[in-house]
Amino acid sequence: MRQRPPIPFLLTLVTALALAACGPSDDSATPDNGDATGEPVTLSVIMEEVPDTDIVLDLVEDFEAEYENITLEVEALPFDQMRDRIITSSLAPDPTYDIVVVDNPWMVDFANGGYLLELDAYIEGTEGYDYEDFAEPLRDIGVVDGTTFGVPLYNYALSLIYRSDIIDEAPADIEDYRQLVADISSEGEVTGLAMQPQRGYKIFEEWANWLYAYGGSLTDDSGNVTLDSPEAREALEAYIETYETAAPADSLSWGFDEALRAVAGGEAASMISYNWMLPTLNNPEGDAGDLAGSFAVAEVPGGKAALGSWSWAIAGNSENPDEAWEFISWLTSPEIDKQRVIAGGAPTRMSVLADEEVWSEGYGQDYYETVAAILEDAEPLASGPNAEEVIEIVGTHLNAAIAGEETVDEAISRAAAEAEEAFARTSEG
Amino acid sequence: MSRTKEPSPVTSRSVRSRLFTALRLGFVVLAVIAVLVPFLWLVASSLKPAPALSAGPFEPFRPQLGWWRDVLASDVRVSLVRSAVVGLVTVGISVVAGSLGGYAISRFGTGGRTLRFGVLSGQMIPPAVLVIPLFLIAFQFGLNDSLPAVIAAHLTFVLPLTTWFLIGFFDAVPREYEEQARVDGYTRFQAFWKVVLPQVRPGIGAAAIFGFILSWNDLFYALILAGGQARTLPVAIAGFNTFRGVELGEMSVAILLSAVPVLIASFFVQRRLIQGLGAGGLKG
Amino acid sequence: MKAGEQGLKQTVTGAPERLGRLLVMPLLAILGAVLIYPVLFTARVSVQDYRLNALDQVEFIGTEHYASLITNATFINALRNTAVFVVTAVTLELILGLALALAVQRLGPTRDGVRSILLMPMFVTPIAVGLIFRFLLNQQLGLIPPLLDLFGFRIDFFGPDLALLSLALIDVWQWTPLMFLMMLAGLESLPKAPFEAARVDGASTWFTFRRVTLPLLRPAIIIAVVIRMLDALRVFEYVFAITRGGPGQTTDTIQYLIYRVGFQFFRLGEASAMAYVLVAFVLVLVAVLIWLTRKGESA
Repeated sequence: MRQRPPIPFLLTLVTALALAACGPSDDSATPDNGDATGEPVTLSVIMEEVPDTDIVLDLVEDFEAEYENITLEVEALPFDQMRDRIITSSLAPDPTYDIVVVDNPWMVDFANGGYLLELDAYIEGTEGYDYEDFAEPLRDIGVVDGTTFGVPLYNYALSLIYRSDIIDEAPADIEDYRQLVADISSEGEVTGLAMQPQRGYKIFEEWANWLYAYGGSLTDDSGNVTLDSPEAREALEAYIETYETAAPADSLSWGFDEALRAVAGGEAASMISYNWMLPTLNNPEGDAGDLAGSFAVAEVPGGKAALGSWSWAIAGNSENPDEAWEFISWLTSPEIDKQRVIAGGAPTRMSVLADEEVWSEGYGQDYYETVAAILEDAEPLASGPNAEEVIEIVGTHLNAAIAGEETVDEAISRAAAEAEEAFARTSEG
Repeated sequence: MSRTKEPSPVTSRSVRSRLFTALRLGFVVLAVIAVLVPFLWLVASSLKPAPALSAGPFEPFRPQLGWWRDVLASDVRVSLVRSAVVGLVTVGISVVAGSLGGYAISRFGTGGRTLRFGVLSGQMIPPAVLVIPLFLIAFQFGLNDSLPAVIAAHLTFVLPLTTWFLIGFFDAVPREYEEQARVDGYTRFQAFWKVVLPQVRPGIGAAAIFGFILSWNDLFYALILAGGQARTLPVAIAGFNTFRGVELGEMSVAILLSAVPVLIASFFVQRRLIQGLGAGGLKG
Repeated sequence: MKAGEQGLKQTVTGAPERLGRLLVMPLLAILGAVLIYPVLFTARVSVQDYRLNALDQVEFIGTEHYASLITNATFINALRNTAVFVVTAVTLELILGLALALAVQRLGPTRDGVRSILLMPMFVTPIAVGLIFRFLLNQQLGLIPPLLDLFGFRIDFFGPDLALLSLALIDVWQWTPLMFLMMLAGLESLPKAPFEAARVDGASTWFTFRRVTLPLLRPAIIIAVVIRMLDALRVFEYVFAITRGGPGQTTDTIQYLIYRVGFQFFRLGEASAMAYVLVAFVLVLVAVLIWLTRKGESA
């Protein structure tokens, strides 16, 4: 299977490009919903390999039945790999994907880089879409400088997952929580919590909840970096102390996987994790085995959670933006979204969270009401240009502090200074 | 292999040689154990039901074949074939071009020092940086998301290393062999083909295996250049490291599926390629 | 005088030169085809402010990236970590690989089987090896810590002091087989005559090893070390799977840093400059190594 001579392919490529150039011009300002007409279109979609994607795939069949001329080809990849492929494919002269899912830290960079299509006209032109129904923090994530580039796919807001047979009532106050887990750990049977201090994204994702609980923040409403504060220092000191007194031994490099297994295996009584991990843990056929059913979810101590979220977006160089929007708007419409959530998808719409049918056929009223409470006051880790780099920067210093390589003071002040520098780096000047 | 000169049974020398033998064997046994333990752990993990995977290593569990069924029904098998194809083609090209070129560089000094060292320079550039231009070229030729693109990318590091490797082996063959062959009437090329080449067969064998392994194991290039429909095995295996944690059961199966066939294949390949021909190859 | 040296020293003209050029053509053609554009592209990008999320703002900035690297503490730290990793891992692999080759060579009928088993670790893709050891060395789920516990040892494998060493040991597990293979190949292609002579002269094992085996193996050892060194420099998957450069910055290796800067932070221009600095370092290192050993030989 040696490399074929490229000539036939070059010809094909040139012909395809020529045809495309002569075809109908794509005009994203003319929305067109309702049953599509016209030639068959294949939409290429890239998604992350998570359970929510499986639920979406089931719904895709219904979509294709209703919209006969549109077929979807979905590529599901794990997070890191997906990211790398989206980046390289955005450089390609021809579109590789029509629909991409965008993680919240990338939103500003992708939008500014021209990778994504503007969606405002589409949203306004779609009847019955009820865009305001999406939880506000989720909506805001998809908006860059007043223009909408993404609509919510699913949320991964953080919550406190705990063993209801060990912890009667989840503490609402951070100090109470710290005391509780220290007490549990000192009894020696299980540790009060499992932490995820892995350098980079993981530690920041976890610590952000602590930061909020102590009244600190990364940025203010105008986007100025406010990390360099006494509250942040207090939060970091508290985090480190809890690690030393209550977390499992030698768990400095732990990420999501280790912490989850510790909790599922009965070694730890709680962890801060994504709210939709609850159904997974309580699944009798899942990882928790005998412990399934003994887990509960609550808002993180302090009440304000770090928020992550995935949004649907249309690739800037897609040749089928209208059809792409057909799919996106169909899937995220109130009726279909309700089906998605009943099937186990992570909720994004407030109406769905308050729907009794969802309660009874899904995971129960408690769960959805808790999620609604969480979503009301949740904030993404970082938003703005180079957000991902900022998260890495903060996550590096946090990990350095907990590893003893930097003092709390050094870590916070350096993280704040470097974050400010990274946010400001939009164009070389 | 006896080294004792006196035939008497219990001399310090024979005790020492027995001690050496025991140490040698012990060392080999230790090495085998060190290699096998992680694989045994993989076998255990591939049979454990989900809750047992989060429990301690010595907890008893009831073996189940669920993971094996899932993975064998998935496209991991196909990706294994793809990886094999990519590896074989890459190595095939590399060994041919590498032995021809390596011989020239070693014997005739073709290209001087520049070529001798320059051959390596390209492959030292990290994949994170080389992959973007490679991706763009693949697109130019309509080869995106295809195996030929991956083969081309793999050649960037397998070919230089193979060549470099073989240069060393050619260097070690004394010139007398060719001189003798020329005296006997061979042309230069025949001297190369019939006399020198057999001498470096162990080296070619090792280089081939090494090159194959590098290609077999590559994740990054394969992901970017063929990560969708034409996934190779490492991409499939890495796919079990999801956002929600590592799918240990399935991943263990996939790894075992990847290691065992290659193990068997290498058993046969080794015998052919690393046959000790050191005793001479003067007249074939 | 070594054969290769002869080739370099004498002025080669006429038939050998023509044949040489012919033989080298396939090699050059293929390398040219797959490497020329990527290498040039990368070189060009390294002198530009090339950011993947700002492709419409690409500007020529000359050697600015390169200059900034001199004072970039993260970059220097990564170089240092990588150097420590490479030296530790390759040294251990050489010693163990050579010892194993000598030991296995003398096995009888079990040799082929043992050899096959010993090669197995190489065939597992590195990211999987990283993940396997992430679990094996985990305090709660792993095999090794409880075993160590039996002997009274308590080791935090991925703590700030040991993380880099632990990664090096993982590399040793995966790649000693390669050294073993190369040493075996080297041993098998050694001429028998010197060994015969030594045996006839009544030389002891150790003497034979030091004065006969090692010198004859020298070319193979150098090649093996250089090859393994170049490969170890590219350590990425173990870091990616387990520590992500932490704790702190103790396992931040150069490949991981380049990936982060180029792919995670989109700063491809800077990443390319880092890559070329690395290439320069390595070429110099390799050249020095070869030259030193050549000198030692002809003495």
